[in-house]
Amino acid sequence: MGPYDSAISAGSSSGSSSSSTSKPHEIDGLLAGAGYKVRSSDLRQVAQRLERLETVMVNSPSDVSQLASDTVHYNPSDMASWVDSLLSELNNPHALPLPSDLPDFPDLIASPVLNQTTMQNDDAWADPNIIPPHQLKVVTAMEEDSGIKLVHMLLTCAESIQRGELALAGSLIENMQALLTRVNTVCGIGKVAGYFIDALNRRVFAPRGFANNSTYGSAYENEVLYHHFYEASPYLKFAHFTANQAILEAFDGHDCVHVIDFNLMHGLQWPPLIQALALRPGGPPLLRLTGIGPPSPDGHDSLREIGLRLAELAQSVNVRFAFRGVAASRLEDVKPWMLEVSPKEAVAVNSIMQLHRLLGANNTRNLPIEMVLGWIRNLNPKIMTVVEQEADHNQVGFLDRFTEALYYYSTMFDSLEACALQPSKALAEIYIQREICNVVCCEGSARVERHEPLAKWRSRLVQAGFRPLHLGSNAFKQASMLLTLFSSEGYCVEENEGCLTLGWHSRPLIAASAWQAAADVSNPLGIVNHNNGQVL
Amino acid sequence: MKSTSMNPGTLSFRNLDFSAHSSDPFLVNYMRVVPLNTWVLISNFKLAYNLLRRPDGTFNRELAEFLERKVAANTNPVDGVFSFDHVDRATGLLNRVYQPAPENEAQWGILNLEKPLSTTKIVPVILFFHGGSFTHSSANSAIYDTFCRRLVSNCKAVVVSVNYRRSPEHRYPCAYDDGWAALKWVVTRTWLQSGKDSKVYVYLAGDSSGGNIAHHVAVRAAEADVEVLGNILLHPMFGGQERTESERRLDGKYFVTIQDRDWYWRAYLPEGEDRDHPACNIFGPRGKSLKGVNFPKSLVVVAGFDLVQDWQLAYVEGLEKSGREVKLLYLEQATIGFYFLPNNDHFHCLMKEIKEFVNSNC
Repeated sequence: MGPYDSAISAGSSSGSSSSSTSKPHEIDGLLAGAGYKVRSSDLRQVAQRLERLETVMVNSPSDVSQLASDTVHYNPSDMASWVDSLLSELNNPHALPLPSDLPDFPDLIASPVLNQTTMQNDDAWADPNIIPPHQLKVVTAMEEDSGIKLVHMLLTCAESIQRGELALAGSLIENMQALLTRVNTVCGIGKVAGYFIDALNRRVFAPRGFANNSTYGSAYENEVLYHHFYEASPYLKFAHFTANQAILEAFDGHDCVHVIDFNLMHGLQWPPLIQALALRPGGPPLLRLTGIGPPSPDGHDSLREIGLRLAELAQSVNVRFAFRGVAASRLEDVKPWMLEVSPKEAVAVNSIMQLHRLLGANNTRNLPIEMVLGWIRNLNPKIMTVVEQEADHNQVGFLDRFTEALYYYSTMFDSLEACALQPSKALAEIYIQREICNVVCCEGSARVERHEPLAKWRSRLVQAGFRPLHLGSNAFKQASMLLTLFSSEGYCVEENEGCLTLGWHSRPLIAASAWQAAADVSNPLGIVNHNNGQVL
Repeated sequence: MKSTSMNPGTLSFRNLDFSAHSSDPFLVNYMRVVPLNTWVLISNFKLAYNLLRRPDGTFNRELAEFLERKVAANTNPVDGVFSFDHVDRATGLLNRVYQPAPENEAQWGILNLEKPLSTTKIVPVILFFHGGSFTHSSANSAIYDTFCRRLVSNCKAVVVSVNYRRSPEHRYPCAYDDGWAALKWVVTRTWLQSGKDSKVYVYLAGDSSGGNIAHHVAVRAAEADVEVLGNILLHPMFGGQERTESERRLDGKYFVTIQDRDWYWRAYLPEGEDRDHPACNIFGPRGKSLKGVNFPKSLVVVAGFDLVQDWQLAYVEGLEKSGREVKLLYLEQATIGFYFLPNNDHFHCLMKEIKEFVNSNC
């Protein structure tokens, strides 16, 4: 019997009656409530290591400062491995230089590859502490009350839609539209409510025209809106920079590399990576980029145009570069042979907010996601970078989905409030509004915005045969630096068990993670045990 | 400077349920008094914090944020408690609100911001300031989110946790300003009102630096005639220039050192100030008397293995001499952070005392 009661040390965090003896391989429930995953059976060993770490730190304080500034930390939730990594750092300081980081930002937030058609408002980079006075809106008590009323009515309306009471829903919509006239719709709850009322209106009154059409506007329109969303907020920049940092590290030591971009758009992600590869110690690799995107109308080949511009940039920094465009209306139409992956090259698969489109309607068999993840895994990429909206917008019940979307997009609109860049801000809001409409109005195959939270993606990817590659404190630092360039102080990067999230204040809105095919030497048939997500 | 008088209400735990006989060579003295997982948790913090404090007084905020375990708010009840965040548009100050789950399951996930908590009974609202020596942690830190949830369940109260600005980036008096703003916000929310009088029954609470903040916010409240029903100070962070007996005796023994305490005061107090600044040394040479000030009753919890205890006991004495009502809960065998995990008697004792304290007028 030790100095502590083992029954006490391994209780469950919920306070419910816990068994007096916990299984040793279980995670200590109380530490889990504090955000740490430690197996009960490892507690003593972790304690000993902590003791040893303290002794070493006390004996060499100069090493401590190096631990803090130079060492890259990973996944602090796994306390045992974090402590071990510090111990091994102190015993064995890094002999090799770390893989290069992305170069400083100011050089790389260059104008995007396309010609600038919008005016850049340099005030966006100005002193973050000065908020233009017209943007400091004081929410009066009356406004707050009307706003709360609107939210209640929105939820009641969504509930009546779920119950099939469309007449009631319709009259609620009319009431809400009337209430909107008494509320400030320029910002805050009034603006968001306006978009949701509009979406509900479309769902109830114009189902045929709208709900079955998942893409409104041309691909070109979508690209323009996407570009402004990129300019007006840090979400896409965070996605690109975080993915690029992970890809850069994964490509370390490889001479032939191949990036497969699931949604090329204007190729905004790639100039910084090309520049970083150009500057890497030992010289750049041969870089192939395969960009997937929708087919262009009228025989116009926009993919190729973007490829050409990227090639020009690569040439200007002496990076051997080859581009291939793959036109496909849906990601599931892409077949691996189209990508012409060579066995000698290191492959990076990059998916920025694309995987959720493959989730299809719930409860259908043979989801496209499984097929696509399957062939990605067979490619055995060096890395797969995944960025997804951190939201549960794929729930079966309409009310649940609606409620989640209301909170999620309210937060996102809040974050955009302080953006001074016009017309990017207005167009970014339209970009978001289209997402909202898809979540709220569409069903079946038309609903492509099937966002799922990181926790669900984790288990889905593990089940599909991937293992996580942890994003570390250097990527975190890069992301934090990115945020200092934005004028609003509410943006917040968080570390979540090896993944990074970017959010507004305390609400994560977008999550970035990195993956690799899990080794399965012992599993030639590729059988996956779904019970614990492990490959047998 | 040690106070030897204790209120009749003092409890002390001499008979802990920890077996002292073990042949484990690894044992350090203090592992006998702390459950293993608590020891691991607090030691992990201690070591991480050592990495973050730089000798020149600057703080590695990026690494701190990377290492900090955070949790999102959840409007869906978990174990009977739900939470949501409110951000003040003008200041960016965030408060996380924790409430008991509505009895009607159909109401789950929907925030009621129109009606009071109750029109018949009194529901206490605890305005909570998390600890972290003014420098660490946030309202959405996992340890504090969990603690606030336990407070709600235990006391059947609403808890509002304040994400105050931290040092060294934001020194005195920022944390107090934010605390005061939060208090004003809380008392003007109609949906936090309860009872037949339709008012907000607010208590201030905090651990470590949070306790210090609670004191100073209570002073401002008293001066502005804002009613605070009580203060709960969980091993509050106080200090002074003098080195006290408990500081010398316990330096480095139970997770905390005098050196780190000094660092945090240097990071919080205005540059060039010493620890007799009234923010730090409440009833010291530069302190203000509370005689005649309508200062609320206090519950001050002192951990017997906390090196700061002489200052905390001096604070209790100071309150008594000012004629203020105070109850001292002295937990002889407790270390700092004993309340993070509910695996010891001190935790349960604390919860019982807090529950009584906030429900005494129901």
